[in-house]
Amino acid sequence: MEKPEKLIVDGKRLDGRMPDELRSLRIEAGVLKRADGSAYVELGENKVLAAVYGPREMHPRHDQQPDTAVLRCRYNMAPFSVEDRKRPGPDRRSVEISKVIREALEPVLFLKLYPRSVIDVFIEILQADAGTRTAGINAASVALADAGIPMRDLVSAVAVGKVEDTIVLDLTKEEDQLGTTDMPIAIVPRKQLVTLLQMDGHLTEDEFKRALDLGFRGCAQIYEVQRQALREKYGVKEE
Amino acid sequence: MIHVRHRELVVPGQLVAEGDYRLRDGAYREGKQVYSSVVGLAYLQGEDIKIVPLQRPYIPSRGDVVIGVVVDSYHSGWVLDLNSPYTGNLFVSDLLHRKVDLNREDIGKYLGIGDLVAATVKDVDERMRVQLETEGFRKGKVDSGKLIEISPAKVPRVLGRKGSMLKILQESTGCKLIVGQNGRIIVQGEDPHMVNAVVQALLMIEREAHTSGLTDRVRLQLEKLKRRE
Repeated sequence: MEKPEKLIVDGKRLDGRMPDELRSLRIEAGVLKRADGSAYVELGENKVLAAVYGPREMHPRHDQQPDTAVLRCRYNMAPFSVEDRKRPGPDRRSVEISKVIREALEPVLFLKLYPRSVIDVFIEILQADAGTRTAGINAASVALADAGIPMRDLVSAVAVGKVEDTIVLDLTKEEDQLGTTDMPIAIVPRKQLVTLLQMDGHLTEDEFKRALDLGFRGCAQIYEVQRQALREKYGVKEE
Repeated sequence: MIHVRHRELVVPGQLVAEGDYRLRDGAYREGKQVYSSVVGLAYLQGEDIKIVPLQRPYIPSRGDVVIGVVVDSYHSGWVLDLNSPYTGNLFVSDLLHRKVDLNREDIGKYLGIGDLVAATVKDVDERMRVQLETEGFRKGKVDSGKLIEISPAKVPRVLGRKGSMLKILQESTGCKLIVGQNGRIIVQGEDPHMVNAVVQALLMIEREAHTSGLTDRVRLQLEKLKRRE
């Protein structure tokens, strides 16, 4: 990839967006027939599929919890999802992302309702262009609701970052690789609780506050699209 | 203060009401506010609020009629799959309604793996261990009929208000139905055309469960299917 001279020209980004603008977002609920719940998310060039199975009987049995259900997440990138073929199977990165996604989703679920069972969430990245973990969380939370699993709220997630001293929302691959900082966040929108916050790079205290605020505003937009996706599955259009 | 209309579609985290309401399933309280916890239709009846989910797993509860598939056997009974996160246990004595001397009798002749059983949930403990029995009308091993599986969330629509839908399905086709709360339904009938008509109607109910006026449409559909044969 050739390095562009500047990532931000006249206040506009390489793809023509403003710093506080999301990429185009499309969410569809209930796309997989054989899963209990599912969702498909397109965020810019990202294409993500999430499937939920359960609650179902936990195997292996020794992982059962007598008083609660267990949430299992698997984040997986398809070999063809990136430009250079990715070696298939879990690696250090995807194991870690699976863990943080699980921890981002767990707080909203009423897991105590289903003792001894397991809820499986599979997140498949079909095409990646930075921000796949946040797109995965958005997809997974819609898929969980689609599966009829009781939850306090949906979870919305977005990445914010710093590119050439500008705080930007929803970074693309170029911005992620050539920018200074990438900070994915996931929130429970109604209560404004943060369930995931990671940072790669540096921000000053003031920049961090601005970035977090921008992320919250981005999540609010995503939240609306998620809710609409769930309504549309049952034929209710925007009023 | 109620923030939704009756039978409005709500999503998790949506504010349903504020104040002292009695909460049934599908809703939770945070301070004074009442929120939905599932995707479903909000039912408001006086002080009661309940969200009827459009999709849910089957969780056994005492008194439910269920249709189970035998998946395993042990010295004094069987393990049944209930289309649920939890399996059911059926003891021989609860199947045969008599004392059984396990040293003298081989219980293998009563049920085998893969058999279908219509049963009632006798008890569920706090660890979700399920006890079954086959007391009552049309319970026990099922040896004829067609098995249909639908989503457990849609079983109430198959029964209809006070069993009205079930009545139409049975009376207009002459078939007999055993409806399990776990989403499994057995259709028994002499005439294969009629059995197929019921199956078509059941699939239609599952597809259109969240719409109103369903009972009338099912009646029309059945009339049409009957005339076509």
